[in-house]
Amino acid sequence: MTGIFLLLKGLVLYAGILMALSFVGIVVIFLYSDTKNWSASLSKFGRIPRDTVLGGFPVDISLTIQIIIMTELLLFGGAFAMYFAIRIRMGIWPPLGTPTLDDTIAKIQTLILISSSILVELAVYKLKQGNQRAFRAGLIGTTILGAMFPILQFGFEWPHLLLNNILTPSTNFFGATFFLLTGIHGVHVVAGVLAFSYTDVRAFMGQYSPKNHGFVEATSTYWHFVHIIWLFLFALMWQGSRLLI
Amino acid sequence: MVVSIRFDVARESTVDLKLEDFGAFVIFTAIYAAGSLGLPKLHILAYQLTVGEMAAPFVAIFGIPAVFGLTLGQFIANLGFEVAPVAMLSPAISFVGLIAIYYLRKLSTLGGCIIYILITSLWITYLLPQISNISTSVAAPSAFLEQSVAVMVGYVGYLIAKRTMANPKAQVQKH
Repeated sequence: MTGIFLLLKGLVLYAGILMALSFVGIVVIFLYSDTKNWSASLSKFGRIPRDTVLGGFPVDISLTIQIIIMTELLLFGGAFAMYFAIRIRMGIWPPLGTPTLDDTIAKIQTLILISSSILVELAVYKLKQGNQRAFRAGLIGTTILGAMFPILQFGFEWPHLLLNNILTPSTNFFGATFFLLTGIHGVHVVAGVLAFSYTDVRAFMGQYSPKNHGFVEATSTYWHFVHIIWLFLFALMWQGSRLLI
Repeated sequence: MVVSIRFDVARESTVDLKLEDFGAFVIFTAIYAAGSLGLPKLHILAYQLTVGEMAAPFVAIFGIPAVFGLTLGQFIANLGFEVAPVAMLSPAISFVGLIAIYYLRKLSTLGGCIIYILITSLWITYLLPQISNISTSVAAPSAFLEQSVAVMVGYVGYLIAKRTMANPKAQVQKH
């Protein structure tokens, strides 16, 4: 009797999954057929306005930012693949003896990144409207918020974990992947802050206008990318560190 | 009748993504993921509200980037929760519901939200008994009420936002 019940339960599970996937498939086909020209839409996606960078010569930086984002995707894709490969092989994750990490600083960092993403979007929006003052204020605000992120990470969290011997790269595999992934990400945040500092200088020199904002848009795209990687890290390293797979 | 409705709804819905939409996509991803993982669950009476679900009606304003953003946000949030593998299908189901809001945004955002509530509650009703000891009879009303309250709170926010802010894209184009 129990066997029949379990069999029925299993059938319900697989029938449900099959129905759900068919349902999603139909909607995706509908969406696909509704989008008139996918290839044009996709090729246009990576295009950003021209920017005057080198002594007044117009430079198209679309390809540059596309290559940068693709390279970053490969880098972080590889890093996350390594993380999951280790995690699956370990069986129990995190390994026994791993401390539960306090997520207060991570939550503040998440808030910082969300605020900075919204702020830089507003700044670009204001620039397109021709409001230079609001644009500069938004850009400076983004840079300040961005700078707070590595300060919290490399100035507070890492020293706290390392100096108090709570978690180090040699503690176990979790420690090693934690410092590797958050370290790579932290370096990218520092690069983003440097890019924003350069953008700030150019903004105060009046080099951006509603028709000339390619570099600002490229920098903000990079920043959003760094932000989305952080969301994965936040979910996996702090919130989901006790998830068993 | 069905064909003509589909035509009328879809005529103005051609997906056209640009790089500048990437920002909205990431912000919505963050709202769902960080709202679910970082914030404690909000309570109204006995019902828990997921912050990310409240963002669903905003698809009517921000379009396809919000649809993809909320879907990815739910995927990230599920990575962070202790969920069974079958629950990782939830973002795909939400995607269908969000697409309903997107396609019905010109006709009736409220109608889209109701379809979203029905689709997601049905999925949760099916899912909960599979991954826990909760029976279907308990899961169904609780899923429906929690989704309804969360989405309706978001819908009120959507109405306020719609009144107070003009369409950002339209303003920029006008300029």
